[in-house]
Amino acid sequence: MNAIETNKLTRTFGDRVAVQDLTLSIPAGTVFGFLGPNGAGKTTTVRMLTALISATAGTATVAGHKVGTDNHAIRQSVGILTETPGLYDRLSAKQNLIFFARLYEVAAARADTQAEHYLRMLGLWERRDERVGGFSKGMRQKLAIARALLHEPKVIFLDEPTSGLDPEASRIVHDFIKELRTEGRTIFLTTHNLPEADELCDMIGVFRTQLLQVDTPANLRAGLFGRGTRVRVVGNAESWLATARSLPFVHNVTALESTLSITLDNPDEQNPPLVQTLVTAGAQIRAVEPIAHSLEEVYLELVGK
Amino acid sequence: MTKIIVILQKEWSEIIQQRALMLTIILLPLLFTLIPIAAITTTSQIDLSSTNTSTVAIAKVMPSLAGMNSKEVGQALIGMQMSILYILLPVVITSVIASYSIVGEKTSRTLEPLLATPVHTSELLLGKSLAALIPAVVVTWIAGGLFIAFVALFAVSNHVFSAIVSPGWLIIFLLWTPVLGLIGIEMMVAISSRVNDPRTAQQFSVFLVLPVIGLIFGQISGLLVLGPIFALSAFVVLVLVAILAVWIVTRLFQREVILTRWK
Repeated sequence: MNAIETNKLTRTFGDRVAVQDLTLSIPAGTVFGFLGPNGAGKTTTVRMLTALISATAGTATVAGHKVGTDNHAIRQSVGILTETPGLYDRLSAKQNLIFFARLYEVAAARADTQAEHYLRMLGLWERRDERVGGFSKGMRQKLAIARALLHEPKVIFLDEPTSGLDPEASRIVHDFIKELRTEGRTIFLTTHNLPEADELCDMIGVFRTQLLQVDTPANLRAGLFGRGTRVRVVGNAESWLATARSLPFVHNVTALESTLSITLDNPDEQNPPLVQTLVTAGAQIRAVEPIAHSLEEVYLELVGK
Repeated sequence: MTKIIVILQKEWSEIIQQRALMLTIILLPLLFTLIPIAAITTTSQIDLSSTNTSTVAIAKVMPSLAGMNSKEVGQALIGMQMSILYILLPVVITSVIASYSIVGEKTSRTLEPLLATPVHTSELLLGKSLAALIPAVVVTWIAGGLFIAFVALFAVSNHVFSAIVSPGWLIIFLLWTPVLGLIGIEMMVAISSRVNDPRTAQQFSVFLVLPVIGLIFGQISGLLVLGPIFALSAFVVLVLVAILAVWIVTRLFQREVILTRWK
């Protein structure tokens, strides 16, 4: 079952098209990374999917509710971490959470226990009665994440959850997101932090007004750069270029000093005959390893087009 | 209803922690009570017979003063001018609270997470409006109640008391107060959609205070007699203005408009 489905979802502001024909299917329990440059329309997409603004065209379903007609039900079913934490500085951490819990229609007694549960989980319980105005950026961000979860939503939208956080706080947030995934929640993660997306996301959509590509991180890499193997040999790798090129399943080979970089369709199956051919031809092989393209390379290739 | 109460409680929790706001809510009514009381008690000693103004001439402009002696006229005149000041209170207090309430949400960037909750914008608007209106009406009525009590104590005669605490003034004091407060709130919400500083928003509230000041000068100059008929007719007009203001602001206070058009 899909937690989020969109079909040609479009939003314009006057003549400017912010989101065009976005078609997506995100299965329940998935951590979906939504990547794109500033001004790409990511926030507009999140706002449409959380029933904050309407779509100009197209349809969308979130947590089984239709955007535009079941807006109230959508707001009850989703949690959102907005770009900025947006907390009441004069209220305490607990007061902030209880206020939002009550607006999310959590009963008064349960609001109290939910606030305690998430404050403890995120390490803020000891500071519960302090004014949020005195909190560090990391603490505010954690509190805003807690706010998004008070009503136990099945679909959670996180906009830049680790923006501006130090590595330690980022780690806590990452672990927390992983825990949410194990609980079967669907997470729509907007981020500019590509290693974060690589670490956390089951699926990634690269977006700039339109969806440029959507797939698993591994498939995105493979689809764009092909799969590859790096072979380190004794001596100059150029000596073995011709041997490698002679194999029918080899698409591309480059040599740099003692390393051959070879593009293959299926390294798991094609590495053994490749190595055997090179050894038979007299190459002394030091190491065979997969070529790993970073998500950043994928992103820049797609967005730069 | 629960959400409106939740919003109301949150607003009040924030209000009581803002010194400037609390000073306005407490000091202004205090001033508006002490100054008229001081004026009333002082004027009980003034006798207009020593001036060139004839009580007969004054009575022609203000019929409610007919038949009073010069001492009574002096106190009644001052009391009447002071009593009309109370219509300023609900406007000023609601404007100050509402400006902090709405602009505060913008500056702390809490509007989006707030609008992402399953709260109806009408509930949000009502909660915020009541949070500003209730204290404004309560302090205005308390201040006015004290004024009435002091007039009863220090009026040189029953005639003077009846002239100051007249049926027209009572209608204004009791009925206009909530309606003027509501108009002040609606205007402040509309202004708040365009500004990012509570003080800037408050400066615009001058436009609402101006007609009220005009009314005060009308009364002082004798051009306007705030009798029951005028007070009730104006009340009906004010209710219509308030309904129109609520309608406009409700349209302005929609998620889509707030997130895409508010600056």
